Amino acid sequence: MAVQWQNYQNPANYDELLKQDGTPRPGGEQLHDYLTKLTGKELAERQLAAELAIKVMGVTFTVYTEGKNVDRAWPFDIIPRVISGTEWDKTEAGLKQRTRALNHFIQDIYGEQRIIKAGVFPAEVLADSANFRKQCVGVKPRGGIWAHICGTDLVRDGDGTLYVLEDNLRVPSGVSYMLENRLVTKRVWPEIFGNSTIRPVDEYPAQLYDMLAALSPRLLEVPTVVLLTPGIYNSAYFEHAYLAQQMGVELVEGTDLFVGEEDCVYMRTIHGAKRVDVIYRRVDDLFLDPEAFRPDSILGVPGLMRAWIKGRVALANAPGAGVADDKVVYAYVPGMIKYYLGEEVLLPNVPSYLCMDDKQREYVLANLDKLVVKPANESGGYGMLIGPRSTKEEQGKFRELILKNPRNYMAQPTLALSTAPTICGAGVEPRHLDLRPFILSRADGGTYVTTGGLTRVAMVKGSLIVNSSQGGGSKDTWIVDIEAAAAGQSQSQQQSQLTAKKPSQTLARQSRQQGGKDAL
Amino acid sequence: MLSRVADNLYWFGRYLQRAENTARLVNVHANLLLDLPRNVPVGWQPLLEIAGADESFRATAQEATEDNVVRFLLVDERNPGAVFSSLNFAREIARVSRDCMPREAWERLNDLYLFVQDRGEKSVMRARRQEFLQGVITGAMTIYGLLTANMSRDVGFQFLRMGTNLEQADMSTRILDARSSRLITYDAALSPFDNIQWMSVLKSLTAYQMYRRHVKSRVSGTTVLRFLLQNREFPRSVIFCLNMLGSALPHLPESRKVTRALERTKALVMDANIDALITKPDALPTFMDEIQVGLGHLDDAIAESYFRV
Repeated sequence: MAVQWQNYQNPANYDELLKQDGTPRPGGEQLHDYLTKLTGKELAERQLAAELAIKVMGVTFTVYTEGKNVDRAWPFDIIPRVISGTEWDKTEAGLKQRTRALNHFIQDIYGEQRIIKAGVFPAEVLADSANFRKQCVGVKPRGGIWAHICGTDLVRDGDGTLYVLEDNLRVPSGVSYMLENRLVTKRVWPEIFGNSTIRPVDEYPAQLYDMLAALSPRLLEVPTVVLLTPGIYNSAYFEHAYLAQQMGVELVEGTDLFVGEEDCVYMRTIHGAKRVDVIYRRVDDLFLDPEAFRPDSILGVPGLMRAWIKGRVALANAPGAGVADDKVVYAYVPGMIKYYLGEEVLLPNVPSYLCMDDKQREYVLANLDKLVVKPANESGGYGMLIGPRSTKEEQGKFRELILKNPRNYMAQPTLALSTAPTICGAGVEPRHLDLRPFILSRADGGTYVTTGGLTRVAMVKGSLIVNSSQGGGSKDTWIVDIEAAAAGQSQSQQQSQLTAKKPSQTLARQSRQQGGKDAL
Repeated sequence: MLSRVADNLYWFGRYLQRAENTARLVNVHANLLLDLPRNVPVGWQPLLEIAGADESFRATAQEATEDNVVRFLLVDERNPGAVFSSLNFAREIARVSRDCMPREAWERLNDLYLFVQDRGEKSVMRARRQEFLQGVITGAMTIYGLLTANMSRDVGFQFLRMGTNLEQADMSTRILDARSSRLITYDAALSPFDNIQWMSVLKSLTAYQMYRRHVKSRVSGTTVLRFLLQNREFPRSVIFCLNMLGSALPHLPESRKVTRALERTKALVMDANIDALITKPDALPTFMDEIQVGLGHLDDAIAESYFRV
């Protein structure tokens, strides 16, 4: 029994693979053909092979349950999510634009605050920001870059438009799964890789390393870069170890580092103290330095902020970058793009209602049953109200929460999230998904965007929650070039990314794209 | 290499070896009791002293009966040196060091840990004990074999090897101690059993066959002691372990402290007057204590040179 496409019904949503008439979208033809030819048994066998590969490769994530940490195998669906190369190129340009604006914003907020003076961004929002760090005021990291690594969540609505759902600027995770997913699909679908142009994803660790190494305060051929992890009990520890290994840098914990002579950072090695130049930190701001933030933190390094402010060590992401990672600040990003870059917004925001605004709050309170209400500073899909699926009681609880602290809440219409075919039991069914690409911002102005990103899928029928901590799974993301001409275009694009390492050319390239406005 | 990672590998080596040798220690003592005439008053208390567990045992306010002592040395979580505790520590280290160790080693260790957790309590009884102890010994050796066969000889491996050898040297002295006059007041009436007891020491260290090949003379106190302290070829002899530890040093940053502590302990072992140790009452346990103190200094020197930066 092959995949029965006639039973694959999903009229209400945009499907990533199939058009309304049941034929595949551009780029998805090969995959559609293969799925059609395979029997249900063969499909199940391939899914099993993938699960085995994941187990053998040791791809895990950690879930906290009742005080214990359990390593679970990474939930993965073998049917990839396909995006055409032409669509992706546009998306990529939009992501670059957005990340540039966000970095301008963070630098401005910790500096002159021009955007507030210009009336584009309200001072009250900043005053109540949980992620604003007063310790960072007056600091200017190299190149004015604060969010070196950004994970931006994209969703597609019923009409096919890709929207930005949120920007993760603190310690975004998931990129290792994107890389591992590709290794698994290459094992599962070698035939399709042989016959089509699927853009590779594996350049990321090298790009990440180059970006980090270029932040070194000392001019060295090989600066000492380390990855700072909270340790094995962190849910993303697998990723920390994986990236450290891929980049060939030490995976350190807080106790491995200390701030010594002249406020430089050192790591304890069997050869004695060794100076550290760049720290890719995967520890939250508040735990970074007990002298500057939470005094009870044992994950951080006393004096680290002092060393960073003096420019003795580079931190990525910079402390305080999270000020722009706030669901209320989010609503102002399109304004930022216009204000700092003077450009039209390439990637739209989901329409948002801010509860701090009287009129908008009234609308939200009147429509709690239709909207998704989100707290400003939660991540992982916690603390949300999904209106259409909520009880009257839950709505009442959120009404109180909103009235008590309006600044902390915003609401968005419930999107008809797009779906993609996903293996469920014996057959293939539509499941909702999102996409998290990762954007690297170099101090020299260059930007790199992952090819596609991490596609997360809600494995439960009808569910919109894709977070792996809450039963979500993932898929490989294929950026497929359709025509021979398109394949050529992809190559030229890769070249421009390689040349991005030379600052002069980056400038030239950027000003070409932006019409020369506010390039750096 | 990070000091923390090196420290972890060193202690992984120590804990694994400690688990294995504690099992051997219980084994040799149990066998000794079987071989002795019934009227010889040998208790289990001395075994706690030899294992360095007497203080923590006293804190539990138990009587030093066979069951209590064996349980304490094998599975009691209140004893940080128990087989179960050692494996637990080793497992916690392996969990954070999975990138430095072959995956199979982690899996086997996990198996062994679960085996001890599952079977330990039941194996306190004499009838099941032997099989259980053998399971622990074989399990630990399998893990060590996997590590030696599959790990690159990088700096990390050197630390693992140092930990393993230091612990083995220490435990060999403790196993020798287990036979010594700390247990039995010297008694001419027991001399017919003497050689049987030394043989059981050899067997507990899987040394009997090698001893036979090397020494080619009948088993006696002096020859066994000389073999287990000073033989340069048998891998559980004290001097062999110290030499192995020394052979790791050229791969590491130079440390005079470590070299000095090592040379001192080696001299102590090689200069031992074996005949005097056998004939003088109390000479053997005192000497074993001296070696253990020397090994303690060596351990300190290693920690100070490489771990406490």
